Amino acid sequence: MSNLLQTVALVEMSITCAAVIVLLLQKTFPQEFPLIAKLLIILILANLFFWPLGMGMELPLSAYVRGAVGDLSIVTTLLLWTSLLLASKPAPLVFKFALALTAIAFYPLALGFGMLDPYAWGYGSIPFFIAVLFFAVVCGLANWSKGVWIIAIAILAWAAHWHESANLWDYLLDPFLAIWALLAILGTFYRRRRDKARSGYLFRPG
Amino acid sequence: MNRVIALCFLLLAAVIGFLHIDSRPAWAPFAINAVVTAEEEAVLEPAPKSKPPSLPLKPSIARPISTWLPDTGAPSVHAASLIALKDGGIRAFWFAGSREGAADVSIYSSTFDSKSSSWSTPTVVIDRVNAEKALSRYIAKLGNPVPARMVDGRLQLFFVTVSVGGWAGSSISSMISDDEGLTWGDPQRLISSPLINLSTLVKSPAIPFSDGRLGLPAYHEWIGRFGEFLRVDAGQVIDKRRMSSGRSAIQPLVFVNDAQDASAYFRQTRSAGQVKQVPVSQTQNAGQSWRIEPDLLIANPNSAVAGLKLSDGSRILVLNNIESGRYRLVLMMTDAKSQWQTIEVLEDDVALPEDQRKEFSYPYLITLDGNDAHLVYTWDRKKIHHRYFSGAWLKRAHTQLTTTEVGNTPEETKQ
Repeated sequence: MSNLLQTVALVEMSITCAAVIVLLLQKTFPQEFPLIAKLLIILILANLFFWPLGMGMELPLSAYVRGAVGDLSIVTTLLLWTSLLLASKPAPLVFKFALALTAIAFYPLALGFGMLDPYAWGYGSIPFFIAVLFFAVVCGLANWSKGVWIIAIAILAWAAHWHESANLWDYLLDPFLAIWALLAILGTFYRRRRDKARSGYLFRPG
Repeated sequence: MNRVIALCFLLLAAVIGFLHIDSRPAWAPFAINAVVTAEEEAVLEPAPKSKPPSLPLKPSIARPISTWLPDTGAPSVHAASLIALKDGGIRAFWFAGSREGAADVSIYSSTFDSKSSSWSTPTVVIDRVNAEKALSRYIAKLGNPVPARMVDGRLQLFFVTVSVGGWAGSSISSMISDDEGLTWGDPQRLISSPLINLSTLVKSPAIPFSDGRLGLPAYHEWIGRFGEFLRVDAGQVIDKRRMSSGRSAIQPLVFVNDAQDASAYFRQTRSAGQVKQVPVSQTQNAGQSWRIEPDLLIANPNSAVAGLKLSDGSRILVLNNIESGRYRLVLMMTDAKSQWQTIEVLEDDVALPEDQRKEFSYPYLITLDGNDAHLVYTWDRKKIHHRYFSGAWLKRAHTQLTTTEVGNTPEETKQ
């Protein structure tokens, strides 16, 4: 069981590493890669990350990445994978806002600021679980069904003990997701300010 | 339509999630007799023949036995711990390597034969490469091993691994032995922190709950330095509670007072200018919530504290009762009627020039029969010293303690 859990985690990490590389490659190319090309590259790269390559390394590449970043949350993993493979609506700004605000409040408290530990809620607090469900329903009402699917899968993964953690937070949030949300919000504000400045220049009365 | 299907799927996940929460075990009280019961069993065979308990103990009480854990050939050793074995022996664990935190550090073990007062040849329990292969992740170094007895009689060994950075980047793993520590199963990683599971360490013995699960006093020492009480079910953390907060107290040592009540003593990590004493937390609901109490009025130089509750109600502590340095190590005792008092100075290099003083640190205590005490501690990072205090010796110390309590406040316990 433990071996299976570790293998699954390495497979996930290998695919995620491959997906990040494809995403970075995509940024450097002006044209969108066809889906089949993306799948092929991910398949090759994921295998490179998953299997031990030798060359003086004791472990597969993905195990080194896992040593540094731990297991990513299911939400991060699925958002990353689906953003590459499925043509779907990007995450709404309100989702990123909620995520960023949650992370800003959560991490200081969870890392020892005061006696209140919200991380402990993730082991089985019913109010916390209801809050997560409410958040998922809001995603649905905001017409972002992908968010509902992802949160529901994260809950199922937690109930099935898919990763090493028994804490629901670890299936929903990780520092990389929080950083992504913060950067996305900053990026959106920057673009809006830039667009506003441009439109102001163009349409300023002469 | 997609939205409706998604919401239906969420409903299914919600039901499964609620069932999962409902299946979680309720928080249990502390097991008051569990440790003694396990150890009583362990002590059945080596009943002391030379000293019948009915005899008066006056002149013939032996001095504490002093031995050394076996040499591994490694220049640096640290963080020894002990567990009582079913055959009446004890098993020690410690880490050794070229230096603390080096990649060649392994966790070693050896057993103590009380009849011959000797330690077996040390064996490697786990090294870095085997740990990283079993945990499927890069491991840079190993640290602090802490054994525990599971309710089904198996041994569980908690130990610290670091993938990135110093000890602040630690996490805890554990492995289980069916044969009293001769062989071990694959390690499993305990997840106890939301930030890449960084910075959870273990130093002090686990506390059994009445439902057979373990309460593991752990601590963080990265952004915050605080204690946490992990509720552990086999190889996973199923709940945890904060024992302190901020950046001032690590390595909690838990004294269980009754099924609901327990006190935790910490190693202080306060900044300069603050009081260098032993921080204390208290729980009155079996560790579900802790509140910070006034310090124990014993000096602490940012070093680990070991302790034990004996069956006669007395308690002992081993610690460096000075405000800086680790060159003095003492055994202290208290009971319900008296304050903490030094009953034995175990090591003291105060007379030596500062650059010649050795480090005596990381004490760890266990009892086999509830009356005696086995102690191990790091001796100048080169060796692990083992001391044994018999029940008779500790009882005599207790008697003297109660007779000298009035007006006798040792200089180390600042009032």
